[in-house]
Amino acid sequence: MISVTPNASNVETLDLANLTPEQTALEIRNLNLHYGEAQALYDISMNIPKNRVTAFIGPSGCGKSTLLRCINRMNDLVEICRVNGEILLHDKNIYDKNVDAAELRRRVGMVFQRPNPFPKSIYENVVYGMRLQGVNDRRTLDEVVERSLKGAALWDEVKDRLNESAFGLSGGQQQRLVIARAIAIEPEVLLLDEPTSALDPISTLTIEELITELKEKYTVVIVTHNMQQAARVSDQTAFMYMGKLIEYADTNTLFTTPAQKQTEDYITGRYG
Amino acid sequence: MAASQRAELGASNVRLIKDKAARWGVTLGGGLVLIALLLIFFYLLYVVEPIFRGVDIEHQQSFSVPGQGQTVAMGMEEQSEIGFRFSDAGELSFFALKQKPGTDWQPGQLLLSEQVAEQPTAFAATQPQNKRYAYAVADGQARVIEPKFRTKFTDGRRLTTPVVDFANDGDLVQVDPQQRTLVKLAYEYDGESQLFAGVTADDQVIVNFLQANRSFLTGEVELKSKFTELPINGAVDDLVVTPDLRQVLVRQANRFYVYDVSRTGKVTERQLLNIDRRRFGEVTTMQLLAGASSIMFGHANGLITQWFEVSGENGRQYQYIREFKAGNSAIKDIVAEYFRRTFYSISESGEVGVFHTTSEAELYLSHVDDLHAEQVVIDPRANTLLMQSEGELHTFNLENEHPEVTWSGIWQEVWYEGYPEPQYVWQSTSGSDDFEPKFSLVPISFGTIKAAAYAMLFAVPIGLAAAVYTAYFMSPSVRKVVKPTVEIMEALPTVILGFLAGLWLAPIIENYLPGIVATIILVPLAIVLFAALSSVLPKVWRNRFTDGRAALILLPIVGFVGWFSFELSPWVETVLFDGNVRQYITNELGITFDQRNSLVVGIAMGFAVIPTIFSIAEDAVFSVPKHLSNGSLALGATTWQTLTKVVLLTASPGIFSAVMMGLGRAVGETMIVLMATGNTPIMDWNIFEGMRTLSANIAVEMPESEVGSSHYRILFLAAFVLFVFTFVFNTLAELVRQRLREKYSSM
Repeated sequence: MISVTPNASNVETLDLANLTPEQTALEIRNLNLHYGEAQALYDISMNIPKNRVTAFIGPSGCGKSTLLRCINRMNDLVEICRVNGEILLHDKNIYDKNVDAAELRRRVGMVFQRPNPFPKSIYENVVYGMRLQGVNDRRTLDEVVERSLKGAALWDEVKDRLNESAFGLSGGQQQRLVIARAIAIEPEVLLLDEPTSALDPISTLTIEELITELKEKYTVVIVTHNMQQAARVSDQTAFMYMGKLIEYADTNTLFTTPAQKQTEDYITGRYG
Repeated sequence: MAASQRAELGASNVRLIKDKAARWGVTLGGGLVLIALLLIFFYLLYVVEPIFRGVDIEHQQSFSVPGQGQTVAMGMEEQSEIGFRFSDAGELSFFALKQKPGTDWQPGQLLLSEQVAEQPTAFAATQPQNKRYAYAVADGQARVIEPKFRTKFTDGRRLTTPVVDFANDGDLVQVDPQQRTLVKLAYEYDGESQLFAGVTADDQVIVNFLQANRSFLTGEVELKSKFTELPINGAVDDLVVTPDLRQVLVRQANRFYVYDVSRTGKVTERQLLNIDRRRFGEVTTMQLLAGASSIMFGHANGLITQWFEVSGENGRQYQYIREFKAGNSAIKDIVAEYFRRTFYSISESGEVGVFHTTSEAELYLSHVDDLHAEQVVIDPRANTLLMQSEGELHTFNLENEHPEVTWSGIWQEVWYEGYPEPQYVWQSTSGSDDFEPKFSLVPISFGTIKAAAYAMLFAVPIGLAAAVYTAYFMSPSVRKVVKPTVEIMEALPTVILGFLAGLWLAPIIENYLPGIVATIILVPLAIVLFAALSSVLPKVWRNRFTDGRAALILLPIVGFVGWFSFELSPWVETVLFDGNVRQYITNELGITFDQRNSLVVGIAMGFAVIPTIFSIAEDAVFSVPKHLSNGSLALGATTWQTLTKVVLLTASPGIFSAVMMGLGRAVGETMIVLMATGNTPIMDWNIFEGMRTLSANIAVEMPESEVGSSHYRILFLAAFVLFVFTFVFNTLAELVRQRLREKYSSM
């Protein structure tokens, strides 16, 4: 039995099933996903609220990362992957034929499990997204770098060596750099795919604190293996099992009084 | 328990032995590879090394001068067993040069002596390889002597005996019809006709051309005399006739006259050359070099200058070419070798110098064995030196195998005989013995670089583009087929590519040149145009052009543009190039056009290099970690942006090494350049001319070069240069690759 300290922050509890348009960042409707013949996601529907941290938990292979990757269409890169259903961002289905995946991904940023800085300097890593959009003005870029690195709580550590290779940073610093890189282009939604699983406990803590700060400006969706982490950083949590969304509630409720038996079994460590 | 532990120990011992064996095996293999490489390296050096050696002179025998009187000329037979000398009293004496088994010869022993001319007034010798000598006797007459050697084999031993033979049936030749006494004589012989030149006691220069006419019916040769008196006043110092019987060269102090002798015997003045006294000093002696193209002047200050005919505004004129410094005292005599451009100098102080003109090399300059040399002569094989010094004769072993090669001669411009200016020339052999070999490695090294450059021009864009497309855009199922297919191309024997290029592609390129050029320009243009068009299509349509489908649509377009270019070719040729591009290029543009040219080589060798570049570059691009490209895509980058900004950057060490490996292959490639170019060792970047590469040069010439000759060793040097080329390329490539990898490798 693990002890879970629910999120201490006193955010108001939302009625997740009936969010007002102002409260909504994303709406997922009847989402099914197949890898070739095999179905990986079954009829997922959920609303993800704005400026809050939503966590997906569940045992390995339950489809939580797949669902996350649907939100910025990273699954498009997998040739055998087919998606049915809708994900609405500002009432617009991101799977519509005339939606440009690159533009979507600019608005829905993503951070991966392993830190993946580019083989460039720290500075160039942060401004990468800006340069893609053709912003090359030095002053603008300097401002972006400072703002993003501060936003990712990395500024003080790297401000004197911005032009050194990003590979010189520690794993935790690299992951924060990647977050800085993602927020440099000011996305609306930030997807974090197990962002701390490759990091040491101290770095993990730093990143977790950062996530709590990030939600002031961005809608954060995080996939995590670590239930304490979900409990610590998220405002609402979705539990998934075998490609199905089992239970979706605010974190306090889900961890203290789960409605489903499967959820309870999982959070009490009976399997997973 | 204990037993099972022992068993475990036993098992681990076997593992230990296996482990050790494997380690030793791998070490041994690696070591052997290294040793093999080093052996090749040192073997090449070992074969090449003798060409840079100097001259070695080793004393053999000494004996007093046999016979009477002063020596006017000496000689040796081919085996250096017998020497002979002509005296100023008209006596020809043969003597042994060394002891010989089966005979009682002692060095210096007189073998035969004969009075060949009575009271001679002048003496003349032909160029050494003609082996004739002439004495002028009273009443303007001359006798031509041929010292000969008869070889008999008895009991398996070769026995050589000297014979005195006379030309013209031993008759005296009336050189001067006016019967004046000749104080100087020059004589040459071309197998049939003979040319005499002489100076009479009253300083008249006379020329007598004995023209051979073969009788139609009897086959007998009849000599017809044509006599000319040259309009020269004053004392003549030197008089020489050339072995082709076309020129008479006369020297009066520093004035040098060149007279042409026509086939009918008519003599005309060609050139009068004043040899600058202030620049070169007094001329003391004059000698024709082997091949008779160069004339060497010895000067009072120890300088020796070389002059030969160069085409200029006034036709071919003798011109100063280069000089050699043979000590500080006046040059007394210059002796030419039989076949090579090596010559020997003797100065007043008794110093002997050995020089080679082509390589501008001073091979030896010293008093030989502290002796004061008065006369020297070299044997036909150039390995024995006979020297007269203070009433004694000395023989020396001479080692001078490769005088024509020096490091500077190989890599710098050299002024070869008959050339208008110093040039880089590779021309190793010719039909004639008079030939001056030209060993410059510059044109063939240039050819290697030219061939590789054109091949890379063709192979790098295609190879890299194909690699990037296959690794990054192609769907995995298609890639599984495409990659091995391209790699199989690498196994194609290059000799097949070579003969296809030479026999099939070269004529096509010649006939459809506008089509080929149009294809090279239009196909990429069409692809870019197609891409631009597809980008303005509505998004709904564009999203359908994913991955492979775009390529499928592109294929017929490329095919059509290629077909169109070729169909257009004859039409373009008619309208723009007067119906024949090849003639137009040659006549109107003044550009040489060879059928087997660099364009053919570029395409054929490019084809051979593409699989190398493709394979390595494809691996490099494909092995860029997915999380890097995903990271870029997740930031809103398009596939193209991700490719150019992240993937290529990360794969750059691999791509670089792909290009360098391709270059290494192109530099070493032999069969394609051998078969698809004219193998002309010229230095010109012109794409319509061929080239000769180091590797093709070795392949072409090695079978016909004499083992141990300078030519043979130079070919090994070419191999060594090629080895160093590839070694330097690969080392540089590896260094750069390491640096790039340090910079761009991901975790």
